[in-house]
This record gives sequence, C-alpha cells and structure tokens, in this order.
Amino acid sequence: MKILFKYIFWIFLILLLAVNLGLFVNGMNLSNQIYRFEKESERLHRENLSLENKAYEIDSLKYASSIAPSLNFTNSAQPVYLENLKYALKR
Amino acid sequence: MTKLKILLTFFFLLQIVIISRLFFLQVLKPFNSNSVNYLTTKKIYPERGKIFDKNSQPLALNKATYLLYAEPKKIKDKPELIEKIDSILNVGISTLESRIDSNKKWVVIRDGLDKTQMKKIHDLNLEGLGFEDKFKRFYPEASLSAHILGFVGKNYDGEDRGYFGIEGLYDKDLSGFPGVIKSDKDILGLPIIIGTQQRLDPENGRDLYLTIDKSVQEIVKNKLKNGLETYGAKEGCIIVANPKTGEITALTCIPDFDVDKYYEFSEDYFKNSAISNLYEPGSIFKPLVMAAAIEEKKIKPDDFYNEDGPVNISGYTIRTWNNKYEGKISITRILEKSSNVGMVYVGQKLGQKNLYKYLKTYGFGENTGIDLQGESSGYIKPEPNWYDIDYATTTFGQGIAITPIQMLMAFSSLVNGGHLMKPYIVSKITSNDSEKKIAPKEQRKTISLRTSEIIKKMLISTVENGEVNWAKPKGYQIGGKTGTAQIPIQGHYDTSKTIASFIGFAPAKDPQFLVLVILREPKTSPWGSETAAPLFFEIAKDLIVYYNIAPE
Repeated sequence: MKILFKYIFWIFLILLLAVNLGLFVNGMNLSNQIYRFEKESERLHRENLSLENKAYEIDSLKYASSIAPSLNFTNSAQPVYLENLKYALKR
Repeated sequence: MTKLKILLTFFFLLQIVIISRLFFLQVLKPFNSNSVNYLTTKKIYPERGKIFDKNSQPLALNKATYLLYAEPKKIKDKPELIEKIDSILNVGISTLESRIDSNKKWVVIRDGLDKTQMKKIHDLNLEGLGFEDKFKRFYPEASLSAHILGFVGKNYDGEDRGYFGIEGLYDKDLSGFPGVIKSDKDILGLPIIIGTQQRLDPENGRDLYLTIDKSVQEIVKNKLKNGLETYGAKEGCIIVANPKTGEITALTCIPDFDVDKYYEFSEDYFKNSAISNLYEPGSIFKPLVMAAAIEEKKIKPDDFYNEDGPVNISGYTIRTWNNKYEGKISITRILEKSSNVGMVYVGQKLGQKNLYKYLKTYGFGENTGIDLQGESSGYIKPEPNWYDIDYATTTFGQGIAITPIQMLMAFSSLVNGGHLMKPYIVSKITSNDSEKKIAPKEQRKTISLRTSEIIKKMLISTVENGEVNWAKPKGYQIGGKTGTAQIPIQGHYDTSKTIASFIGFAPAKDPQFLVLVILREPKTSPWGSETAAPLFFEIAKDLIVYYNIAPE
C-alpha cells in the first residue's frame, strides 16, 4: 500500500511538472502570437489608411484638375443656357 | 538513495546551466536589438480627427508616417551611417552630423518619412537606428481651403497642435486623448502573459463636418485667382454664405499658404483676412444705413432728395464719386448712383444717436463668433468721441473699420428678413459614440421683414440701373451694391489706392447665396463696379448652375 502511494505521488509530481512546463511553453507561444497579431493589425491599419488616402486623392478636385487637360475638359464644356435661355425654355 | 542522488545531481546541473547562460546573456554579451522596447509603460498616440466638407468629402485626413531616430551611443560607424542615410533622405551631411550628437542617448533624425523611405533605410540594417510609428496630416485638396483649415504644427513639447482656422480653434476636439499600455516584456520585446498587462485605449479625435462646400470653394478660389491676375490686384477675399442660416459655404483669401509646408511661409500669410483684417468698406455700407433710416421711419422709399451739389460738414467737403449732381432724385436713386451726399442726407435724417445704435445692432465692434481662430472684432470708438464728420463719413462706409465677415453678416440680415445670424463653419462633430449637430443661431433682429423687402427691391434696382452695364445672368433677379473705398495711409486717404468690393445675392426673391468680393488695390481700374462686380457676376453664374436655380 505504502509503495503504491509512493508511486502515485511521484507520477503525480511528474505530471504536475509536465503540465507546468506545458503551460509555460503555451504562454510563450501565446505571447508570440499576441505580438504577431498586434504588429499585423497595426500594419493593416496603416495600410488601410494609405489606401483610403489614395482613394480620396483620386476622388479629389485637385487630381481632377490635374488630369483635365489630358481628358480634354475645356471652357466649351461650360453650359451656355444662361445666355441663351431658348435652350432651357425651348423657344 | 542512489536514484535520489542522481535526480538531485541532474537538477543541480540543470540549474548550473541556466545560471551560466543568464550570466553570459546579461553580463558577458548583453543582447542588443533595435526592436527591443525596455519600457514597460508606453503611450499610444490617438489619431487626429478628420475634417469633412458638407457633402462628407474629406478636407483633412491622417496618413501613416515614421519618425527616424538614432541612439548615438549604439552607432559603430557614424560617417558611414550618415552617408547612407543622406543618400536616401537628402537632408545634408552637416545637418545629420549636428543632429547625431554622441553625447546624447536618443535623437530625432527626421519625422514624416513615408513607407518607401522607411523601407530603404530599414534594409540598410544599420545599428543605432530605429523607427516610431506616427501620423501626419494629409490634405487631399491641398491648399484649397488653407485659411479655413489652418495647419497642424508642434507645441513646445513636440506634440501635434493645430494653429489658425479650424485646426486651431477645434484643436482639443481634434486631438483626442492618448492611451497607455503597461506591459511586462521579455528581452525579445514579447509580452509576458503572466506578467502585468494593462491597456487603456486611446480616444481618437472627433471628426468635424463643415458647412463648406468643396465645389463652391473650388469655383470661388479659381475665380479669385483669375480676378487678381485680370485686375492686377494685390490681394483679395471672397466669402459665400447662406444668408438665411449663417452657414459659410466658401471662404478664400489670396495670398494664402501651403498647408503641408506651412513652415516655409511667414506668419503674415496665416492670417485670415476675411476675419482678421480691418478695412473701410466704402459704398457697400450704404444699404445698412438706408435700411436703418427706413426702419426708423425717418425716410420712405418714395421720398426724394435734392442732390444739388457738394455738402460741407465741419469744414470738410463731401462730393459724389464723379462730382456730378442730378438734382431731385429718389431715395432708391441715391443707392443706384451711390451718392455720398445723398447718404449724408439719409444719415442726418436717421440721426446721430440712431446711426450709432444701428452700428452696434448690426454687430460692428464685436466678434461675430465665427468658429475660426484669429477673429478680430474691429473697433467702434465710444459715442462721446464722435464728431459730425465721423457720422457723415460713416454713412458711406469711410472712417469706420470693420472686418469682411462682419460686413457679410450685417448685409445678410438685410436680405433675410432682418435676422442677424451667427456665421459658422462646423455643422457637426462626431465621435465613436456621439454626434453633436450645430444649429443656426440668431444673434438678434436688426430690421423688420417689411424693411428687408424694401431694401431688397432697392438693391435689385441698384444692380439693374447701376452706372455700369454688367454681364448679368439673364432671367435672374440679382441684388447687390458696389463699393470703392479709399485706403487711409498715415492720417490721410491715398486717392490712387482703393479697396474695390461688391456684395450681392441671388435669386432676389428667396436668396440662396450671398457673396462678398473684395479686391485690394486693383490696377486696371480703382472702381468696384469695374473689378469686383464683374467677378461677382462670374461667380454668380457658376453658383446658379451648381445649385440648379431655375430662372425666375
């Protein structure tokens, strides 16, 4: 009986040690993951900002006026119906 | 016992190995990594709030940048490092040498690096360098609204701070609150899970939505630029507002500055002339006095005045602008031909006490309360210090110094039924969990609805029967008034230098917009009718099209 208890005790100790080691290693892995995900989410956020800014820049009037000459936007594109109301009033 | 001894010996040897390794890592050859952050407490910088126009189009955003720093004590080969960095950044070798001071532990080399520059420097694998993540302001429309937005500079502690315009006045709302992260980290910079892990998230700045319409701002700025060139003016301002609500739809003054490179401009450029500069308004002030006299029932719209020659006030002679006198003219004709002597008559009928009272009623001498940093209230000297000549010249807008925004809001009250509105630019402030809308605010009543309708009719007549035949948009009734004010220089007026202006509104029956155009020292002609007025009508045409206003 005494020997049985002794064996159980040692097995229990070894198990405890193994679990402890396992938890420690898991903890380290978790910290690695956290660190990785933190860095990744920061990177994605910054990339998101950059893409958002590019999208807004392409949508801006500044960009439109810079490409207007190449797209052949000229003064003749302005409406003339304020001077010739016959178009608007179908005279 | 032997088994126990073996176990004990095993653990003892294990401990020796661990202690030796620790000794090696911490004493003999300490681990050196640029990415290690030994601080357990780190500040998390909030993102600055964004600024949008009335159609939710962005005017100011944030972009991700990097701050390049150096730890001089960790640099092995300083000349090589400086040469390599300079080949990418082009800062100047002597500048880098002075910045990388070997006596210091940590120095900033350059802020605002983009991703490409950061990657190039990172790939050099130079010891003693590191990067901090930062944000910088990004303006997709560049300097379209320079004076409205202001810029973001640094304070004494090197932290971001807004100056002038919206960035200045709303700096606290836009800045947000920093967060804090308290974390136990190991030598590799990885968090220790079982250690302290506390995080207080930053509160990002609030976003602002403006009353400014980006498209109207673009129209107005382009027209002003062309106008300054065409008329050879030194500087100019244009403000567009909704006269019923006080919303500022566009505001531009030239010269302005580059919001990205504000540090290359002197402080004079940052001042927003529309709200900070005082000027004598000239004849565009006349309708205010006319409306006051009608309101006080001192004159009626169908009254007549005998314009028979110059008027003498306390030894000063007041003449019309062209020294021509038409004899018996209607009250409306006084405005149409912008008669100074006629306005002196109206002022005398109104009375000095009433005239002074209406200056205060119209809001002169006090801030309008517009939400831009740097507003000037102007100055109305106390009533006991006024002389007869002061009252006389005030009736035609000389001898009184006001700001363009004060003029615009006072004039707004003439055409909107007599409500002096508070001008405003921010219509909504939003954060993650709340939204605050800013409603139009009436400061006070200036005139009655009846007087407002009368003065509107007179202003329409002023445009239709003015001295100059302008290229008005056909099919629309537009009201307005020209102004040509001489500039006071060291106690006298320089007759060759003027401030030419025009203030107008359309459509007359139910005004959708009110525009004030001011040109300083135009060279082609000193007269507002030949410079500011044509510019106004060009803008009015574009705005009528933009707002889809049907002909009347």
